[in-house]
Amino acid sequence: MQGFWLDASEWQAVCLSLRVATVAVLCSLPPATLLAWWLARKDFPGKSAVETVLNLPLVLPPVVTGYLLLVLFGTQGWLGRVLDQWLGVRIVFTWRGAAVASAVIAFPLMVRAIRVALAGMDARLEQTALTLGAHPIRVFFTVTLPLARHGLIAGAILGFARSIGEFGATIMIAGSIPGQTRTMPLYIFTAIESPDGIARAQRMVIVSILIAAGALIVGEILERRARRQRAMR
Amino acid sequence: MRDARLEFRCCYEYRSGFRLDAEFTLEGGICALFGPSGSGKSTCLSLIVGLLKPQAGAIRMGDTVLVDCAGGHCIPSHRRRIGMVFQDHLLFPHRSVAANLRYGMARSGEGTIRFDEVVDVLELGDLLDRYPAQLSGGQQRRVALGRALLTQPRLLLMDEPLNGLEEALRDRILEHLQRVHEHWQMPMLLVSHDQVAVRRLAEHVVVLERGSVVDQGPVNQTLDRATLQTLSTHPGPTNLLRIEQVHQVGDHSAGRIGDQPFYLRGRVPSSTVYVRCAPSDVALVLEDVPVISMRNHLRGSVCDIVCVSSESAGEVVYVAIDVGQVLWAQVTPSACREMGLQKGTRVVCLIKASAMDLVT
Repeated sequence: MQGFWLDASEWQAVCLSLRVATVAVLCSLPPATLLAWWLARKDFPGKSAVETVLNLPLVLPPVVTGYLLLVLFGTQGWLGRVLDQWLGVRIVFTWRGAAVASAVIAFPLMVRAIRVALAGMDARLEQTALTLGAHPIRVFFTVTLPLARHGLIAGAILGFARSIGEFGATIMIAGSIPGQTRTMPLYIFTAIESPDGIARAQRMVIVSILIAAGALIVGEILERRARRQRAMR
Repeated sequence: MRDARLEFRCCYEYRSGFRLDAEFTLEGGICALFGPSGSGKSTCLSLIVGLLKPQAGAIRMGDTVLVDCAGGHCIPSHRRRIGMVFQDHLLFPHRSVAANLRYGMARSGEGTIRFDEVVDVLELGDLLDRYPAQLSGGQQRRVALGRALLTQPRLLLMDEPLNGLEEALRDRILEHLQRVHEHWQMPMLLVSHDQVAVRRLAEHVVVLERGSVVDQGPVNQTLDRATLQTLSTHPGPTNLLRIEQVHQVGDHSAGRIGDQPFYLRGRVPSSTVYVRCAPSDVALVLEDVPVISMRNHLRGSVCDIVCVSSESAGEVVYVAIDVGQVLWAQVTPSACREMGLQKGTRVVCLIKASAMDLVT
């Protein structure tokens, strides 16, 4: 049996996974927060339709979501064509595709976590801030965000963990190109299929567990710190 | 104070079906909206401050049109410069008292109402570094008041300013509100279902019931009338008498209702007090009895007689007597007949000093 050090291709997969998950979370956190606020505070016709579409990635098989993304972002898809022609950015079969897949799959989880936190805070604090002359944007940053911070942390952690584990949608839109789109789950799957890949797969499984546990611990620490600050007051 | 004139004419209907349709004009000073809970008082405040938008009507403050449905004009809350103190304070839990106070100054800057002065007048100096969760209810209310003042509002709205406070605290908050009014000539509009609070603070009152204005005018006369009107919907009237020029006489206190003397047991904290007594503790005689153990004899004439029948008490008659203020007495139907009571009958009301509660 080989030693417990990762070889170059394994490191590549780990770094790629971390990069994809980080980009996915960073890009979807702001829109997830805005959408969560909108859903938590406003009533409008068609709200349940918006909620249904939002939660679709949660209940659809990831492969189906991946297929739809492939159709949308493919070089012939309308969004893919626009990005390709106007910005020269290709999504399909690049690491960006993996990030898009992760972001879409994780998005409803993040919205849900943030929305729970927003619903738990007194919305009239926002109204109070308005009566104190604060512009709605200032209210959002000085009252809403600080008071819903734990929801944002929870949403980010949840989204990150889900992104690290993304498989079905990723393989559809990004494929499994070594060094480019072969994230950890894809790496494990490929390793298992190849002869004498068991040891590689096992090492990657251990790394996956460590990253997931690490994310939870970081989240727990942040959450505890926020709670301690609140208790101090 | 032309600038402080508030013209309010709004319709607002909730999805639950409750409809507010009210019109009134306030000329500044300290005004109050009075009425039972659910009468639409707080809705009026929300409309004035801009948290609700009327479905029809307009609100004008001085020369500024705050909202006008016909003209499609509406100034958003954060640009109205109207301060609001909510019933449950709504301090920002993640900010210290000082940061709470300064929150509204970012936009308004330092104006005629200065930070140090507010801290001084509201006695907040020792609280500045604390967080809202560490404050008592009365302290939170003072911070909320200070925070609203520091936005340099041209009108201060207060929702139930005395609700939920212990008696001792109510006095202090009242004192602070009066100081605020005197110090900065701040026009105020308060909402309350509490007669005592309204009578002690306000000069002008608008009485609301089920979403519409039923009466308005100078506070004491209007509230005396309001008591008459709400009788039909309430279990029975309570008497709230304003005693003026109270001073110490031996072991008791003496004051006046209009030009008639009135005696109270024990020491009394201030020169004007309110006492509450049940109508059943008021006895009526047609001619004054010169020597009797009851000290308080109030002369007056009957201004209203209301028969109320209830399952528990049978039929009772409430007689309103104008003794300078309205005083209610509860009598039996037979007593009412035998005495020949009717509107205009001159009577003397006898009240036991021990039956009266001092209200603070």
